[in-house]
Amino acid sequence: MPSDARPQELSYADVNRDVVRSLVKTGSKYYITLACSVTVMLACFFFPWFYQLYYGIGAAGVNHPSVWGTYLASFIFWIGLSHSGTLLSCVLHITNSEWRKAMYRSAEAMTLFSLCVAAMMVMVHVGRPWFIHWAVPYPNQMEMWPNFRSPLMFDVMAITTYLTGSSIFIYMGSIPDFAAVRDQTTGWRHHMYVLLSLGWRGTDLEWHRLRWAYTFLAVLIIPLAVSVHSIVSWDFALSIVPALHQTIFAPYFVVGAIYSGTAGIVTVMYFLRKYMNFEQYITRVHFDNLGKLLLVLSLIWTYINIVEIFTGWYSGTSTEGEAIRYRLFGYYAPLYWEMILFCAVAPLLMISRRFRTSFVPMLVLSILINIGMYTERFLIVGTSLSRQYLPDAWGLYVPSLVELSILVGSVAMFITLFLIFVKIFPSVSIYEVKETLPEPEPEPTRTSGEPEWQPTH
Amino acid sequence: MATHALGLFETPSEALAAAGELKGSGFGQPSVISPIPLETAEEVLGEKKSVIKRFTFFGALFGGIGGFTLAAGTAVLYLHPTGGRPIITWPPFLIITYEMTILFGILATVLGFLISARFPAFRERIYVPEAAVDKFAVAIPCEDQGVFEKAAAILRGAGAEEVREVTA
Repeated sequence: MPSDARPQELSYADVNRDVVRSLVKTGSKYYITLACSVTVMLACFFFPWFYQLYYGIGAAGVNHPSVWGTYLASFIFWIGLSHSGTLLSCVLHITNSEWRKAMYRSAEAMTLFSLCVAAMMVMVHVGRPWFIHWAVPYPNQMEMWPNFRSPLMFDVMAITTYLTGSSIFIYMGSIPDFAAVRDQTTGWRHHMYVLLSLGWRGTDLEWHRLRWAYTFLAVLIIPLAVSVHSIVSWDFALSIVPALHQTIFAPYFVVGAIYSGTAGIVTVMYFLRKYMNFEQYITRVHFDNLGKLLLVLSLIWTYINIVEIFTGWYSGTSTEGEAIRYRLFGYYAPLYWEMILFCAVAPLLMISRRFRTSFVPMLVLSILINIGMYTERFLIVGTSLSRQYLPDAWGLYVPSLVELSILVGSVAMFITLFLIFVKIFPSVSIYEVKETLPEPEPEPTRTSGEPEWQPTH
Repeated sequence: MATHALGLFETPSEALAAAGELKGSGFGQPSVISPIPLETAEEVLGEKKSVIKRFTFFGALFGGIGGFTLAAGTAVLYLHPTGGRPIITWPPFLIITYEMTILFGILATVLGFLISARFPAFRERIYVPEAAVDKFAVAIPCEDQGVFEKAAAILRGAGAEEVREVTA
């Protein structure tokens, strides 16, 4: 199995060549996929959104008592998916993990685009997005200010900070690669990389400064990432709704976020490896390590689910008891058991190393985990509000076609953003992959510094 | 505009050895240009101190103070009594403080990086495209042709496959 090993036979020039090729050589498959994803995004996200803006929020299925629906479930899902990328990259950077180096750039991009899609879901959910600036504290003639005691304002601050931090982190780590790509591209790409690389040369001073700044950023971003999903959980836990008002919600959300994010990384790695020809860089070792991480996360996630049910039962209150009974055996019970199957039972397959190092089974499992994790978010939002204190205020929530369409469109939006990313940012970190290779040997037959592959466009 | 002697090497160990020799021979501070960060560069070229940590610290401090002032100040400016709770409420305001601490810590770190690494570059500087691929370059400023010749001899002696005279 050639893809089992690290790319020992690769040279530094090969790494440059392969990554530059992934940026400039674009086949018809790419354009067809991009065209499809843009079409689905326009048809399934923007068109239904404009329809909802025109006819009012009633176009969505949310109504009393379930005033939160799939838009918020999607918001939590996308914020969750954003978690593993930058967080995992930061943790692995600080621990100096070798296997991080080939995959972290794409994982960080996943963070960035998931956050963008999550922000769009908030826009859709609020109904009147043209008033979104009211969440920003600025002096105004009404002398009104945002309420900083509200978890919704915590959200605004946390997500803004996380989006800023993640964007800066991925950009800063890419500067040396932009410089490497700058010298091997022509035309508009060359001009773009000249600007993006800021004049990077690779001097010892520049490397020193980059190392310090990058490490500081990693240290700052790790607690930030944990705070972001804790804060998202407080949107729910600080309400006094049965099944939501629990102290375990913050770790529950953080673990769930890292879990779904790591599964998302597996999905993205599979497609990058297969369709961007990175077989030599993203190997079975990466899938094996990600599989181990997923397995541990699934066990923690399962434990927290058990604790959540136990706490509700042990409280002895009728409302908590009803909330648990409804979730396990009520109208939405099939969704609950689907979630358990996909997120708690199926991941046990990863105990086997053979499974973890098999690409297609890992892809299928990662998608199933994320379906299960979306279901979890839907159950948190949907079942809790439809079963509150008074039976005469109980109700059912079923998403409307507009909501389901926007959910599909949000996936297409993520894919579109990612497809654009892979043609602008080097998806694999050139300089960090080189660090994992043996020192270059003298090559008398080649002209000094001349790469084997030259741009022809 | 200064003239530099620039030697190109196949391996990082050769380049670092050449840089160390130049430094030891009384030339100025050499620069090593490489496609990867060299862990041992500081052992040869001397320890570098970075001001980035100060930027991070003061940025975070400014963000923390600013964050709390924002939350508490706006609460005082627009009074919104809720259930008899205090106007300046510590637990939620500390969350805003925490987020703003990190936000400004990050922004200041970037500013510190840009200033201390002298980015963006607005003028021509010594650059070797090969050093972004698989070569390691050592550059040393030379006042005149005699100094250049001496530096070039040291670079060749250390195993440079090519020595160039560059001006920037």
